Formats: sequence, structure tokens, C-alpha cells
Amino acid sequence: MITLTINGLQVSVEQGTTILEVAQFFGFPIPTLCHMEGLSPYGACRLCVVEIGEGSKSRLVSSCTYPVEEGMKVRTASVRVVRARKMVLELLLASCPQSKVIQDLASAHEVRQQRFRQEHEDCILCGLCVRMCEEQMMAHAIGFRGRGEHRGLGTPFDVHSEVCRLCGGCMYVCPACQLRCTYTEPEKAICGGCANLSPPCLVKDPFDDMMCYMSPCVACEIKQN
Amino acid sequence: MERLPSIDSLLAMPKRFAHQHDPNRPTLVIPAGTCGQASGANDLIRIAKREILERGLTSRISLRITGCHGFCEMEPSVLIEPRGTFYPKLDMNQMSRVVEAVARGDVLSDLLFKDPETGEPLETQAQIPFFRTQVRTILARNEKVDPIRIQNSIENGGYQSLAAVLTKADPAWVIREVKSSGLRGRGGAGFPTGAKWEMLAKETDGKGKYLVCNADEGDPGAYMDRSVLEGNPHSILEGMLIGAYATGANKGVIYVRSEYPLAIKHLLIALRQARELGLLGDHILGTGFSFDIQMVKGAGAFVCGEETALMRSIEGKMGEPRQRPPYPVEKGINGRPTAINNVETWANIPLIIERGGDDFARTGTPGSTGTKIFSLVGRIKNTGLAEVPMGITVEKIVNEIGGGPSGKAAIKAVQTGGPSGGCIPASKFDLPIDYDSLAKAGSIMGSGGMIVMDENTCMVDIAKYFMNFLKDESCGKCFTCRKGTQRMYEILDDITKGNGTLGHIDLLEELAHVVKDTTMCGLGQTASNPVLSTLRYFREEYRRHVVQQRCDAFVCKELVGAPCQSACPIGTEAWRYVAHLARGEYEAAYIAIREANPFPSVCARVCSHPCESRCKSGTVGSQPIAIRALKRFITDRIDPSVYKPQPLRPASADAARIAIVGSGPAGLTAAHYLSLLGYKATVFESDDRPGGMLVSGIPSYRLPRATLEKEIQSLIDGNVTVKCKVRFGRDITVDKLFEQGYQAVFLAMGAHKSRRLNVEGEDIEGVHPAIQFLKAFNLEGKKLARGRVGVVGGGDSAVDAARTALRQPGVESVTIYYRRTRNEMPALSEEVDAAINEGIGLETLTAPVRILSKDGRLSGIECVKNRLGAMDKRGRRNPVPMPGTEHQIPLDTLVVTIGDVPDIDYLSEMGVTISDWGTLVADPVTLGTIRPGVFAGGDVVTGPNTVVEAIAAGKRAARMIDRYLQGLPLEAMSELRRPELYVEPAMLSEEEMSKIGRSVPSAIALEVRRRSFDEVEMTLSEDDAKREARRCLRCDLEFTQCHAHEEQTAERGQPVL
Repeated sequence: MITLTINGLQVSVEQGTTILEVAQFFGFPIPTLCHMEGLSPYGACRLCVVEIGEGSKSRLVSSCTYPVEEGMKVRTASVRVVRARKMVLELLLASCPQSKVIQDLASAHEVRQQRFRQEHEDCILCGLCVRMCEEQMMAHAIGFRGRGEHRGLGTPFDVHSEVCRLCGGCMYVCPACQLRCTYTEPEKAICGGCANLSPPCLVKDPFDDMMCYMSPCVACEIKQN
Repeated sequence: MERLPSIDSLLAMPKRFAHQHDPNRPTLVIPAGTCGQASGANDLIRIAKREILERGLTSRISLRITGCHGFCEMEPSVLIEPRGTFYPKLDMNQMSRVVEAVARGDVLSDLLFKDPETGEPLETQAQIPFFRTQVRTILARNEKVDPIRIQNSIENGGYQSLAAVLTKADPAWVIREVKSSGLRGRGGAGFPTGAKWEMLAKETDGKGKYLVCNADEGDPGAYMDRSVLEGNPHSILEGMLIGAYATGANKGVIYVRSEYPLAIKHLLIALRQARELGLLGDHILGTGFSFDIQMVKGAGAFVCGEETALMRSIEGKMGEPRQRPPYPVEKGINGRPTAINNVETWANIPLIIERGGDDFARTGTPGSTGTKIFSLVGRIKNTGLAEVPMGITVEKIVNEIGGGPSGKAAIKAVQTGGPSGGCIPASKFDLPIDYDSLAKAGSIMGSGGMIVMDENTCMVDIAKYFMNFLKDESCGKCFTCRKGTQRMYEILDDITKGNGTLGHIDLLEELAHVVKDTTMCGLGQTASNPVLSTLRYFREEYRRHVVQQRCDAFVCKELVGAPCQSACPIGTEAWRYVAHLARGEYEAAYIAIREANPFPSVCARVCSHPCESRCKSGTVGSQPIAIRALKRFITDRIDPSVYKPQPLRPASADAARIAIVGSGPAGLTAAHYLSLLGYKATVFESDDRPGGMLVSGIPSYRLPRATLEKEIQSLIDGNVTVKCKVRFGRDITVDKLFEQGYQAVFLAMGAHKSRRLNVEGEDIEGVHPAIQFLKAFNLEGKKLARGRVGVVGGGDSAVDAARTALRQPGVESVTIYYRRTRNEMPALSEEVDAAINEGIGLETLTAPVRILSKDGRLSGIECVKNRLGAMDKRGRRNPVPMPGTEHQIPLDTLVVTIGDVPDIDYLSEMGVTISDWGTLVADPVTLGTIRPGVFAGGDVVTGPNTVVEAIAAGKRAARMIDRYLQGLPLEAMSELRRPELYVEPAMLSEEEMSKIGRSVPSAIALEVRRRSFDEVEMTLSEDDAKREARRCLRCDLEFTQCHAHEEQTAERGQPVL
């Protein structure tokens, strides 16, 4: 067992637990976009940063990937953490304003404006879909390629993947584009219409401008025709 | 090669080969690293080989081809052992002479390195300033070792430390030595190497452990690791072997970037030879110790230099980092414990074992021991690699080793640590270089890149450059690094294009802090450093870009527009009148000049022409357009009446009245524009005629009095009254002016008091302050000079005084004494040339220390010789007197021109402030003093300055007084002046352009010049002027081309304020 202090509360947890798990267990909310139970921690979205250490040695780490250490002091909502989180949300809003998840998070953290040039991207590269496909669906159909601003997501050589089973898992976990497929039956999260064609976020060619969370769903219409 | 069966056989090896070498036999050492080969070392090698063979010298001269020695600026070079003769920048045609001289035992003094200060040839490396300050423990071995011959390495002490370690057979002792050496990681972060090894040694994983050499050197401008890899790969292998023995690792990996083909080749050869000799593999040297090294080529990603990404890359996966912990020593390559060290760290290990840890720790500072190799690049004379002890100051590296700035512009800052590092401004050059001081200053040691930047470097642009690099090289895994660098780049790009706001700067800083805080790996955590450090030290420059939309380094194209126009303090559209001139439209050209400048004929003669020093034609290799001479051509040819300044506002009877004190260029300009704005201006002048320094300071051989008089009269219209012989402070005061109903006051009385030398005997007969000397002649016709005349100073008034003295009767000789060198002289270069032409002597690096007198009259001066020492805060090198060089110079007249100050002691009672150095304090942007309604500009605020700056102050004063009287806020405004009007180009073809150079106006005959005060310079002929104008590269077209098809007249017709 490892003893640590989280927001002043002394707790004992099992070795190997991450800070995020401890926080969630004891009821300290930490927002995250790239973490999901059942998928390996990745640490990409940087929303879940917490402050560890004291004084000049304190630093921010992503709680989803950081295993607890003996005697560790964790603050999940210090001034520094909140400032960083708000900036991350502002950056997210600037890039991906149409995501309901991001909008809700920003609203909850009182981010009321974004000061950057507005973009409309449909992916925040959180990697949930890649891990979903690999770890839960055992398909390895999609992955990352490129680096820096050219980093993107897709199948090898952008050819429709033979191992993809069109399960829709990638869209199910996506925090940025999930809304586009809930047009007809929001509770199911995947309308099915797109999935039967092929996942539109990945094979974009035929539906380049598809925004099917806006009515009516283009993919559904295409299928009907 | 046969396998070495034991440690003793390795130790015996140098002796086995010893008889082959005569230590006195001359050896030609030719550095042929990548840098050497690029500058032609291969040609030297080829010729040297041929010469040695053809002359049958094979038994008398040896040849050794080595890696880089560090002095890359002087390559290709040849070093002759054992004498140590050094031939820099050797032309291949000289090589046979060198071989011949070596055979004779001679030295070719014409090919030797010349001392940059004295010009004396220096024979050996040790005498050259670049090498003098260095402590070359690692780089010096590059001279001795042929990297592709392992015997050569062993003969020079290679693998001796390994033998010592294996003999001692105590891994714990090795770790103790490394720990006591205090060695810290040379990759940049500075983690103690001994501690890392200790952790790795403690890990007990039955499946083996890894050692990695990180040779993924990717910082732009940094190549010290390459030089070690190319020049002495065995030192790295030896270091890793010792490390493996100490930590129990059994596998080694060298991760080299694939852009280093020569390093890869030399490493592969070294690995093969070491394996053949049994220095790698199983049972090394017959002991039970086994270790092998493989080489992995990187795939060209900067982020792979980060250790977790590097390990993934070695595993064959995409190079992206992961969060630590677990640290590599716990879980590294393939999940095994791994220790990763930089090339230079490994190269230091054999030295530590050889010298002992405690002895090693004696070099450097207690927190940062040993030496560090820096790669010195950028705007510096001696680019190359410098190995220095830790704790040396930046100043020493830049000035002593680097030799100072490469051009005329002063050094402004140094970027250490590449894109992840930060800049250190010149004011902080006394900073000792060690891990902790650099971190405190906001930079990092990094791998050792040191990019020197001068005044022509824009710091916003530098931050943008690095951010552009980082946004491409960020792996993109974590959001804040990927998006953060993109957004920082976006903001920086906006600022450099004139679209920034003050909010942008704050947002940039806020974002930079968050990126530093929240990213996963070292790349992201240091990515903000270029932004944060430039913001920290050069925030004003950012603000200038945003508020005034001005890039003082003339780098940001969108803000500069046409450099000539941007460089002109009054924004004259030089490109436009040059374009009109080229088309023969002389009147249009005159109007273009006159719109911005009320003194066209004056500026055509005496302007310091900052436009020419920024002219693109000059900066891209050719000579700048002779803009001032072209202006002279136009103003001499066109009658000023073609331009009638249109009032900007109609004058009214009840217009506000403004008092202007001083009728120099600043005062008259202000009066002129205030008149055009509809105000009534009264100008007060203490002398008997208006003109200020234009009349009293500038000699008539540069500015004929008739021309000047005409120009001044043209500015005095119905709204302007000039009252001469009114002494401010005695006849009138600020209070009185306000009482008399003036609503604003502009103080522009200039700087009319000469600064004193502060040496003994300054007040005796025969010594004249420059202003008095020039005024006495220009206003009253008194000729004060006689006999041998000395002029102390290096500014324009020194040259004016000297040339005026030369023209006075009874003068035998005139000499200017200046304390720095000609390069630092503030006077216009062409004026100095003209003075020298007329026979005036110039003694530089000379300063007077005492004035000698005889019978109460000047008899001479005692001078001391100076040398240039350390840089001052502005980046100019300070003169340092050399004791024992005092000498006496007999003189009959001495003119002291070491700067002027305003004569304004009386002003302190009028509610304005005076600075410590005697100038009037006014806001540089609004020209407002602390007293509302009182403005000040020109020399009285800046100290002695150029005519065009004074005109600019006058225009600014008119603008600001107008705003003040209208009740508008006085604040900084955009100075953005992009070319707007389109003039169809009439340019020369490139072919023609390459054939003709700059047209230089001719001068009247020398004999006439020496005796008369007639104007010296003549006007260009029409052909010359047109040809010169057509040389213009027309930088404006980039901005005006879009108007080419619009119907518009290429005339503004209105005065430009």
C-alpha cells in the first residue's frame, strides 16, 4: 500500500494506481478527454494535469499516466492547475468548437471566450479511437502518422482497411465527432447509417464536408438515394 | 588485425609501433571533417599526397587526415607537427609551396594567420586568439588521431583507460570516480552521470541492460557531437565500454542521425576495428567482460533526441515520447534497464579515468565540472567549435574566442541551446556559463549550440523561426505541445506582419507558460523558451512591432515595406523619386521629395542617408543606390516653385499661436507644418539669422549659404514669424510665453555647448571647443586655426572642424585623433574619405591624456595608444589605454570635438526636467515634457544628432502639438509606411546591372578644395543619374504592383506629415 496526500486528504492506495484513479475514487473531479476505463493511459489531452511536489520543485504532470508514489502530495485544483486547464480548454475550443463535450467542459470551467484564430477541426488527436481499435476490438485498423502539425489519423496509405469491421467503436469513443452520428437516435450515439457505409471520419473522400450532427444527416441521405 | 588476447597486449601495442614513428619527422595534419571537406580539404589532401610522392618525400614527411579541429571559419587548414605551424584558409594552389617549405623546414609567413588587431602573422595555433582561451581536452585529441585507424588511436592513449579499469576489476570504483568527477550530462539537461550509472548498476534484470549513446544531434547550428563522432569515434566506444563494465550492461546502442554520413562511416569502421581487435564482443581482452555495440540510424525526427522517443525509435516504433516515470533506468529499451548519455559525456569518461575524478572536477565550477564544447555560429567572426571550461563568461566566448561581430552591427544577443534554449542579451554577457546560471537566465545549456545575433536580427523573427521549427518537429502526441507551438507560431507570425495587438503579447506569454507547464516531454517543456526569453529581454521590441508596427532590424518584410522609405526618419518615399527619376519625370520626383521633406536641398547635401545603409541593393551584395546624390540631382535641376504646399487645414484669424524656441531644422520644420495645419507659429532665435546648426555648424563647402538661405526663406510664410536675437532664458521664459497667449511651446534650441576633455590645461590659448571654433568661422568669419592643427574626436563635427581648419590660412597640417578605430568612427564614411583625400591625417586608437603648454599657450598634447577591449552595453568595444605608449605631439591649435551638450541650465527653473547628461527630458514618442503644453525635440533632447532626425522631430512635434491643441490623447502611433503609389518600373536588365556599379558624384579639384570654401561635391550628370536610378531594385513593387492597372495618378500632392 502507498500513502499519499491528495488535496490535503491522506489516503492509502495500492501500488500501481494512477493519480487519476485515486482522485476519481475519492471523488475529486479531474476532467479528461483522452482517458477511458479499459484503454491504456495515453496522456495526450493534458486536461488531467495535477500539481505534485512542493515549493520550487512542484510541477504539473498528467494524472492519467502518473503512478502514485509514497509520500506524494497531489493538488488537483491549484491555481496553477486551473490556469493550465483553462488554457488547454481555450485551445480546444479554438480548434474544435463544435464538440459538445468540449463545449460542456469549457462551460464548466468558466472558459467564456477563446482568443485564438478560430479553426474548425474534427479531431483533437486524443487517440481514443486508435486504442479502442487496437486494445478492445483487436483490429489495428487505424493509427497515427506524421508529426507536429501534420500529425493525423487514418488507415495505412489511406486505403480502406481490410481488418476494419465497421464496428463504429472509434466513433463511439470520439469526444470530438460523436455528435455527428446521433441525429436520429441520440441515445444510441451511432446512427448506423454512416457505419454501414464506412466510418466517415476516417474515409472522408465521399463525404468531405459531412457534418451530420446537423440535420439532415448527409450520409443517411446519400444512402437513401 | 589479430585479436588482442590480454590487457598487457593492449598496453604493449603503442611500443610495438613506436619505432615506426620519428617524433621529429614533420607531419602534415589536414582536418577533413564534414566542414573541412565542404570547404575543400579533399583537394588539399590530394595535392599533398601527390607532392609528397612526386618529390620522394615519403620517408621525410608524414600525412595525417583527421576530423575537425574546431576552427571551421579558417578551413581548409593545415597544421604542421611538431612545430605547430598553422596555415588557415589554404588555397589548393598554395599546397605545393607548403609541402616544399615543410621539406625545407621553413615557414611561409605570408600564409600564416594574421592577428586581427595588429596584423602580425602568428605561427602556431597556440598564439591565435581563437585557441588561446580554450581548454581543449577533447577536441585536442582530434588533431592527434586518424579516426579510421585504431592503432593510431591506441598509440595516442586510446583504450588505456579501459585497460586501467579492467586491470583494477572494480566496477564500484569506476562509478565512484565518475561521481567524484561531478560530470553532468552534456546533452543539455545536466543530470549527474555517476548517479545515473549507479541506478543502472543497482537494477538487476536477468535479461540484460542497455547503454545508449545519443548522437541524434538535431539543433540548428550545433555540430559539436558530429566533430567528436567523426574525429575520434574510439573515445566514445571506450567510454561506453567503461560504462558497461561499471554498470553491468551487456548491450550498447549508438543512435546517430542519418544526416551525418561521415560520422556513420567512421563509427562503423571504428566498431569493426574494435571488434577485430577483441575490444568489443565476448571476453574482451581475455577477461570475462562482454559487451557489444550496434549502431542505429535515426530517421530524421528532432524529437528522437528525447530519451523516451529515442528508445521507441530504437525499438523500431514511431518516435514519440511517453510520460516518465518509469524512467529508462527502470524500464527502457524493450522494457530493460537503460542508461542514455550524450556523445560528449561518453567522450569525457576515458579522460576521467585517466586523470582521476577529483582532478577532473578541478576544471570548471563546483556545480558544473569539466569542459564543454560550444558550437559558435551566426554573426560572429570566428565560427567554429570552442571547448572551454565551465563557468567561463559569454563575453569571453563571444569576443575573445569568437572575435566579435562579423559585420559592423553590434552583437545583440546569443541563443544557447538551440530551439529549446533561450537568448541571453548583450547586457548579460558577464553571465558564467554553467547549467544553473543558464537556467536562471531563462535559457538552457542544451547540447552546446551558440547562435550569435547582431542588431540586424529581429528577436520576434527569431522566436518565430524557432517556433516554426518546433511546430514541425513536435511529435504531436500531446495536445499542448502540438497546438501550443502552432498557436505561438500563429501569434508571432501575426506580430511580424503587423497584425498583432498588445493582447496578443500577453496571450503569447500566458500560452508559453502553460505549454512549458503541461507538456509531456523535454521538447515541449523547453519549446516555450525562445518565446519566453525573448519576451523577457526584448519585450520592447515586441511592443514596437505591435504599437508602432516597426521592425528596427529591418527583417519583418510586411512591416519594413521598402527599406529606404522605412529607414528614413521622415518617411521620404526614396523609391518613388528614384523611380520617377529613372523615367525622366523630374518634377514628379521633386514633388515626391518635397512632400515629406521641407529641406530637400539641405538633405541632398548633408543627410546621413540611413536609406542607403538599408538599401536592398547594398545588402544583397552589390552597392546601395546613391540616393542622396540622386536627390541632389533633382533638387539642383528643379525649381522649388513646382511644389506649392497645400494647407492641410485653412488658416483662421483666431488660430492658436505656438511659440518655437530655436530656428534649426527641428524648429523651422515644426513651424512650417504647424502653419500648414492652420496655426500661427513664432520662432525665436538667439543668433542674428535663422538656421541653427545648419548655419553655424555645417561648413559652406558642404552646404552653400545661398542654397540654405533660399530653403529657409521658402518655409517662412504668412503664418510663421521669425524673431532673431532673442535669448531664451534671458529675454523670454516659458511662463512669459504662456502669459503672452501662446498655447503651446516647442523647445528646439539644439546642443551648443562642447563637452570638455577633462584633462589638465584645457582652457589655455590655442585650444578651442569645436562649436566655438566652427561658429566663430561660420557666423563671424574668424579664423582661429594656425600652424599644426590637431582635432580630437571622431564625429561629423570633428571632420567638419578639420576640413574647415585645413582651408584657413596659416595652417600647416591637420590631424584627427580618435580613440577607437576607423570602423567605430561615427562620422559619415564619405566625409572621412574626403578629409583624408584633402591631406588630413587620421590617427586612430589614440587618446589625449595631457595638454602641453609653453608660455601660457598650447604647445602640444601627450597621447596614449589604445587597444580595443571589452564591449560596452551597446556592443561597442571600449578603448583600453596601453601603458608605456605615451607620446608627445607638438601642436599649435587643438580643436576638441568629443560631443556637444545642450546649453540649458536655465531651463530647470521653467518646470521641465534635465537629464543627468545635460539633455532636456521629453517623451521620445510624444515629445511632451512633464509640463503640459511644452514639447521638446531635436538635439536638445537627443544630444548631437543628424539633420534628418531633427526634421523628423519637427514633424512629430507639429503632429503632437496639433493633437494636444485638439484635446486628443498623446500616444504612440503606427509608423507603418508601406509603399502605396504605383510608378511603372524602368529598370536595367540583370545583365546590365551586373556590369555597372554605383555612380559617384565628382568633386572639384583637390588644389582648389584645400584653399576655398566652394562646394566640394558636384551634381551627377543626367546620364549617370538616370542609370543610377534604374539600378534600383524597386522593393516597393511587392506592395504597389497590385495597383498597376488601377487608374490613379502617381502623385499625392499633399504634404506628408
